[in-house]
Amino acid sequence: MSYLKKSPWVIHYDGTSCNGCDIEVLASLAPRYDVERLGVINTGNPKHADIFLITGSVNDQNREVVQNIYEQMPDPKVVVAIGICATSGGIFSECYNVLGGVNKVLPVDVYVPGCAARPESIIDGVVKALKILEDKKHKLIAMALGTEVLAIEPANIEDAAEILALQKLAYQSEAELYNDFAFPPLMQTLPELKEDFKTIIFFKAVMNGIIIGSVRGYVKDDTCYIYRRIVHPIYQNLGIGKKLMNEIEFHFGFASRFEVFTGHKSKRNINFYERLGYRMFKCEKVNDKRHRVYMEKFADRI
Amino acid sequence: MKIFISIIAYIALAPFLGAILSGVDRKITARMQGRVGPPVLQPLYDALKLIEKESLVVRKSQNFYVAFFLMFIIFTGALFFSGKDLLLVIFALTLAEIFFVLGGYKASSPYSIIGSQRALIQMMAYEPVIILSAVGMYMVTKSFYITDIISYGKPLFYSLPGLLFAFIFVLPMKFSKSPFDLAYSHHAHQELVKGMTTEFSGRSLAMIEVAHWYENVLMLGFVGLFFANNILIGIALTFLAYFFVIIIDNTFARVKWEMALMSSWIVGLLFGVGNIIFLFFVLR
Repeated sequence: MSYLKKSPWVIHYDGTSCNGCDIEVLASLAPRYDVERLGVINTGNPKHADIFLITGSVNDQNREVVQNIYEQMPDPKVVVAIGICATSGGIFSECYNVLGGVNKVLPVDVYVPGCAARPESIIDGVVKALKILEDKKHKLIAMALGTEVLAIEPANIEDAAEILALQKLAYQSEAELYNDFAFPPLMQTLPELKEDFKTIIFFKAVMNGIIIGSVRGYVKDDTCYIYRRIVHPIYQNLGIGKKLMNEIEFHFGFASRFEVFTGHKSKRNINFYERLGYRMFKCEKVNDKRHRVYMEKFADRI
Repeated sequence: MKIFISIIAYIALAPFLGAILSGVDRKITARMQGRVGPPVLQPLYDALKLIEKESLVVRKSQNFYVAFFLMFIIFTGALFFSGKDLLLVIFALTLAEIFFVLGGYKASSPYSIIGSQRALIQMMAYEPVIILSAVGMYMVTKSFYITDIISYGKPLFYSLPGLLFAFIFVLPMKFSKSPFDLAYSHHAHQELVKGMTTEFSGRSLAMIEVAHWYENVLMLGFVGLFFANNILIGIALTFLAYFFVIIIDNTFARVKWEMALMSSWIVGLLFGVGNIIFLFFVLR
């Protein structure tokens, strides 16, 4: 019996919202909807919170704040994006200063669209988040007991150095395959990678506290670009790559099209993506040694 | 043997009683605000959830202090409910509070440090009244022993109405309720995040919650001393006092620390010391 469901404490952060969704979150706490009857307390303290409610889109100014709040929350924790701005950026998504929805910087578990999101749907979103909170708790227990050893988690900027080292290791075989050692993944520097963390979502596969795999991606014009899926050479062929792909596809589940690319000689990668439902649609010459094969997949819309 | 049973009963039952009291408090508060409110057992669920959560620690010693806070609160309550010396109870209680404040300081977040400073100011505000109550009880019953105070024939508040008033006046500080919820409270987050408990999470926060349940039961027991000659009426009046504190909590806004300190000293001086001076002349 877990008590997480019975006592969800929330922290509420208002990004660049117009205060519409913001005030609806507070309306859910007020007498008419009274979410405290479900045990919800609005704590102002990330260290006491289980559920992170964000309204409004993310921009360069509040990106660090949002990430900081998320990192201060104790596990297990979930993120609920409230309102269309937090979901995708909404009508502000093309503004020069707006990065987009919260999922640009954090792994979002529940989306509550709407402009403004109604208190009823916010409460629904929180209730949905409780289920996910419980699942995360079971996962943590499984990790502690050793029945589950692999954790796929969002990576943050502190993981940059470890991911870069892994990237250089994992791309060795590709470089040898094409005899091209000026491969961009091998040439990337730590400051460049850290810069990437501002706009790109990274996931990491962690085993015994060590990062053994990673993947990254971003969404542009409703297409999710996934790239640099890397797994430590020792741990290849164990399904870790597939788990990473599933996680990032789930994270960017709102995109209608997914795109990946790989080298033309990398038959294993091409087969891998084909098994996941990707189809080749374009082949482009990068240099004399190497062609790039682009593959795409369309999300199933019901 | 009887002492032994009462100590065991206190240690086993006080947290449940404290949790239910706190749950009833939240329910009544919700009803006063026109809300449905959480289940009565909600504080218990909260604490059980906190145990399941990850415990983030700034410095390891902060949890050490909180563990001592809990330990000394239990020790104090055990002394009280086994009918020992009232003065010793007060000193042990102060020591427990000091451990909590040290924990708050140790966490070294600006919010918890401000909360701890305010907690110290609150202690300065309510300690005189609590000690004066003990002195008043001694003057009437000629003993600091709680067993003697309880077995005194007449209800104490006949002779100590001023002290009872002063005691109930500072009670919101012990329950960390408005208007004196300066150090930390569920409602102070606009101002102070969570005050002293800001940097505590998971298990250590649960420990603080449990310690507060013990402490609340202990403080209600203290109030009960004023009506101790008849157990049933005493308990009823004690709960009435608790209800009164809840009403005050919902009626008043938080005050500044100067106000908290001055008002409780003035009330303590006027009603507490006044009551004792009056007794001094009457009993002579």
